Amino acid sequence: MIEIKNIYKSFEQNDVLKDISKVFNKGETNLIIGRSGSGKTVLLKSIVGLLDVDRGQIFYDDRDFTKMNHNARKKLRQEMGMVFQGGALFDSLTVEENIRFPLDMFSELSAAEKQKQVDFCLDRVNLVDANKLYPSEISGGMQKRVAIARAIVMNPKYLFCDEPNSGLDPETSMVIDELIHSITVDLQITTIINTHDMNSVMEIGDNILFISEGEMCWEGNRKDILHTGNQKLQEFVFANKQYQRIRDERIEGK
Amino acid sequence: MNIFNQTGRYFALMLKVFSRPERHSIYLRQTFNEIENLGVKSVGIVAVISVFMGGIMTLQVAYNMTNPLLPNTLIGLGNRDSLILEFSSTIMALIMAGKIGSNITSEIGSMKVTEQIDSLEIMGVNSASYLIMPKIIAVVLMFPFLYILSVFFGIIGGLIVGPAVGAVSVADYINGIQYAFIPYYVTFSLIKCLVYGFLIASIAAFFGYTVEGGAFDVGAASTRAVVNTSIMILVWDLILTQLLL
Repeated sequence: MIEIKNIYKSFEQNDVLKDISKVFNKGETNLIIGRSGSGKTVLLKSIVGLLDVDRGQIFYDDRDFTKMNHNARKKLRQEMGMVFQGGALFDSLTVEENIRFPLDMFSELSAAEKQKQVDFCLDRVNLVDANKLYPSEISGGMQKRVAIARAIVMNPKYLFCDEPNSGLDPETSMVIDELIHSITVDLQITTIINTHDMNSVMEIGDNILFISEGEMCWEGNRKDILHTGNQKLQEFVFANKQYQRIRDERIEGK
Repeated sequence: MNIFNQTGRYFALMLKVFSRPERHSIYLRQTFNEIENLGVKSVGIVAVISVFMGGIMTLQVAYNMTNPLLPNTLIGLGNRDSLILEFSSTIMALIMAGKIGSNITSEIGSMKVTEQIDSLEIMGVNSASYLIMPKIIAVVLMFPFLYILSVFFGIIGGLIVGPAVGAVSVADYINGIQYAFIPYYVTFSLIKCLVYGFLIASIAAFFGYTVEGGAFDVGAASTRAVVNTSIMILVWDLILTQLLL
C-alpha cells in the first residue's frame, strides 16, 4: 500500500501539485488520470522520488519515504519497478540483458537462477523469442513488454507505469493493460498507472484519482465514473462520443 | 553567477560519481568496455594525426632553420621535443576532447533524455557512478598510452617526410631525435595526460548528465562540452607548465 498525504510541488513560481492525498491499494491497479499538463507525471515522479516534494508525506507500507536518507531510498527502490513512457530500455543491451540487469546489479542468485527468472519474465510478457534482439530491433509494443518484464524481474512490491499505452495501437494497448492488471493481481503488488487513455480507465481502473491543474478533483473506480456528476471529470471522460454513448446505454438506458 | 553554479554542480556530480559502487565486478566490466570503446578505438586516429603532425613539424623546423651554422640534427630534436612537450599531449588532448568528449556527452545525454538514467535511479543504481566512473577511469588510464603512441608515430612521421622531401637526411634526423634527451619532459607530459584525461571524461560526462530537453539539446550540450573542455585543457596546460617545468 502506498499513501500520499498533502503533496505540494512547484517549479519556481508555478504550483504544479496542490494538496494531493490518496491511498493506493495493494493488488489493485491504481490509476492517476488527467489532461496533458495536469501534473500526472510530476505526481508519479514525486511518489517514486525522482522529484522531491515541497511539502507532504509519502508512505510505502508505513515507511515515510520523504524522511528517508539517500541510502534508505536506494534500498527501498529495489522493491520498486517502473515502466517509463518510452520504455527507457538500455540501447546497448539485448532484451535478455535488459531484463537481467537489475538481477546482476543487486541479486545474489547464481547465473542459472538468474536465467530462470529472466526466462520466467520473458514468458510472462510473451517475448521468449525476442530475447537476443536489441531494443532498436523490436516494435514499440514489444519494448513496453520488455520494460514490464524488467520492472517485475526483482519481484517488486510496487509497480509504476507512466503512460504505458502512449504511442501504441488500441489492440496492443489492451494487451499491455491486461498484462499489467494480471501481474498486479497475481503478484499482489501495488500498481500505480499514469494515463489519459480512457480504454485503460474503463478496463482496469480499480482505484482512480483524477487530477486537474495540479489539484485532486475526483476519486473512485471505473464504475463510479459512469455516474459521476463532477463537471471536470465529465468533460475529460466524455469528450469522446463513444464514451458518451456507453454512459447513456449503461446508465440512462437510452 | 552561472559559472559558479555550473562549477558547483560539476563538483557535486563528481562527489556522486566517486562513491562506493553497488557491485564491483559490473563496474570493472564496464571499465574494460570503456577502455576498448574510448581508448583502443582511438588508436587509429591518434596514429594518423600523429604521423601528419610529426611530418609537418619536421618540415616547419627545416624551412625555418635558415642559419647554415645550425646542424641539421636540430630538426629531429625540434620535432621530438615539440611532440613530447606539447603536440602529443596538449594538441592530442584537444583532438580527443572532440572525439571522446562528444561521444561521452551524446551517449549520456541521450540516455538522460530517453529516461534511461531515471530508469537506473528507480532500480536503486547510482546512475552517475555507474555511467561516469568507468569512463573517467578508462580515459585517465588510456590517455598516457595514447600519448606515448602519438610521440612514436610523430617521430616516424618526421622520419618519413623529412628525408622524402630532402629537408633532412635519415642519419641527421635519427641523430637529432637521440640528442640531448631529457626524460623529465616525458614525465611532465605524462602527468599532464592524466589531468587531461580526467578533464575530457568528467567535463563531457557533466554536460551529458545535466542535459534537459531532446535531441537538439544533446547536440548543443556536446558542443558546449567540447568548447569547455578545450578551454580547461589550455588553462591546465598553463598551470602545469608553470608548476612543473
